[in-house]
Amino acid sequence: MSIIQMQGVTKRYTRGGETLTVLDNLSLDVPAGDFVALMGPSGSGKSTILNLVGGLDSVDSGSIVVAKQEITSMASSELPDFRARHIGFIFQSFNLVPVLTAWENVMLPLLLTPLDRAARKKQAEFALEVVGLADRMHHRPKQLSGGQEQRVAIARALATDPDIILADEPTGDLDRDSANAIMDLLRRLNVELKKTLVVVTHDHVAAERARRVLHLDKGVLAREVLNDTSPLAGARR
Amino acid sequence: MATPWLLVARHLRAHWLRSGLTMLALTVAMFLFCFLISLVTSLSSAVTAAATDRVIVQSAVSLFVALPKDYQPKIEAIPGVEQVTKFQWFGGYYQKPENFMGQFGVDHEVFLDMYRNEIGITEALALDGATASGDDVNLTPVVRGAGAGAAAVAAMAADRRAAIVGEGLARDFKWKVGDTLPITGTIFAKRDGSAWDFNVVGIYRPLKSSMDDRTMFFRYDYLDETLAADGATGPKGVGVYCVNVAPGHDPEAVIAGIDALFSNGPQATLTTTEAAFQAGFVSMMGNLPFFVGTIGGAVVFAVVFSVINTMLMSGRQRMHETGILKALGFRNGALARLMLGESLLLSLLGGGLGVLLAVVLATPLRYLLGAFLPNYFVAASTVWLALGVTLFIGLVAGITPAIVAARLRPTAALRSEG
Repeated sequence: MSIIQMQGVTKRYTRGGETLTVLDNLSLDVPAGDFVALMGPSGSGKSTILNLVGGLDSVDSGSIVVAKQEITSMASSELPDFRARHIGFIFQSFNLVPVLTAWENVMLPLLLTPLDRAARKKQAEFALEVVGLADRMHHRPKQLSGGQEQRVAIARALATDPDIILADEPTGDLDRDSANAIMDLLRRLNVELKKTLVVVTHDHVAAERARRVLHLDKGVLAREVLNDTSPLAGARR
Repeated sequence: MATPWLLVARHLRAHWLRSGLTMLALTVAMFLFCFLISLVTSLSSAVTAAATDRVIVQSAVSLFVALPKDYQPKIEAIPGVEQVTKFQWFGGYYQKPENFMGQFGVDHEVFLDMYRNEIGITEALALDGATASGDDVNLTPVVRGAGAGAAAVAAMAADRRAAIVGEGLARDFKWKVGDTLPITGTIFAKRDGSAWDFNVVGIYRPLKSSMDDRTMFFRYDYLDETLAADGATGPKGVGVYCVNVAPGHDPEAVIAGIDALFSNGPQATLTTTEAAFQAGFVSMMGNLPFFVGTIGGAVVFAVVFSVINTMLMSGRQRMHETGILKALGFRNGALARLMLGESLLLSLLGGGLGVLLAVVLATPLRYLLGAFLPNYFVAASTVWLALGVTLFIGLVAGITPAIVAARLRPTAALRSEG
């Protein structure tokens, strides 16, 4: 069953009087529990897909259904709740709040849940343990390495137990070893915690961890590869 | 409606220099605001607290023209007049000219009775039982509390050089009952160039804001007799007469009666209520409330821009963070509340400290202002007004960045460098 369904989605941007079609009548299905890597040249619409699926941006035409909710027909005031409940974001530049500790960053999205203080604490501890940073929870982002910062960001994305984790170039700012470690961690979230992952990446090595690799070009799906080198490999289509 | 309030305190602390300087500006501004407003309220309080059943008789020409002494029995004879005392400005100084203070020669017995509700004698010398009169009098130890008033009346009656002083003066100059004060006269200079000697027989505490604690009251007859004996130079006569209106009588009728009586001279009088007399002193300084209010307004106006600038800078620096919070699912209202909360906290910390300083420093300032404004105080209404202004500054400064944060599109915010 698809957890993400994009039907005929078109997205255009106007810059300097010129209209650019970033996504052109794109349709895409992502089944629950899938691990998808989006690849393609800059400007091919990879990050736009994440922004649209995450409800950070709106389509010009088409529809998007995420976790059985058509977000393209939602009022803008409903989208924050939708994000808080269903989506975990991971960004290339980590995007931690610098004035908060690792622990406080992870606790941040938990404020949006109906959990009581004790339950929130338990969730945050669990998320930091999953990413292996329980011993660094009281450090500020500046006191952590790039890899550690990204692991805190993953813990933050994981903390509210979302259905979907959207990662935009999660290894883009990391060295090879750290990048491998992060991708392994994301794979664990997919396998062990059954999270649906959609990862935008330029890194072929990183993309090998995904079950499916979707190649985009000029706003359309150019190619889809089932990755049999992935430990999650399934049937080739 | 979740709002991560922790971020407010963390941002203020993270940018401690900027926050600190803005708070300092607010502290200084609100202290000045309170001080300036208090100048006006302190001046006006003397007017509003003035007795409604008391009138002041002065020369119609000027306050500096003396009235004849024989006016007193004539005033006393006017229907509705209960009590009359002379008030003669002495204008001397203690030890050096900077030690300026108010000194008045009064009819001591009438004065102490007439002002019993406005000044309270806290301590006084008591007679030792021996017959005492004239310049050589034996006085015994201090009486404090309930008996002090009566002791002061007796001591004033017994000693021609007796004086009572305000507790502010006593504290500043370390005077105590039994001390002899050498006061150099400027209006009334001794022929031999020496100072006048006054014996402190009592210390008073003002009971109303129309009175201050930095004035000395002495016996008018000591001054008058010295002048009569040619022991000193200076204008003869009386500065003003202070008249208590008998209960049940209309002060306006008494005023009309007094002025009508002396309309043909030898010195025409101008009689006013005590409140109007006090207001006359305030008006001598020009339109002080307007002047002071303008300065206070300008100070607040300037600091508003300073806080707005700080908050706009803070908002710009936090655009990226706003994007992160929106991506996590925080609502536009939460982002607006964060900016507004930071602005309000900054304003209330800085402004609140300024108001607190104004309250704490009110007493030292009263001493510093000395004889110019001896009853300086910070009214509760001033504190509330200043806190209201502080709140207003916080709201005004925070509203624009709050709206910007709420309206910012998440993708645009995440792309920003802030």
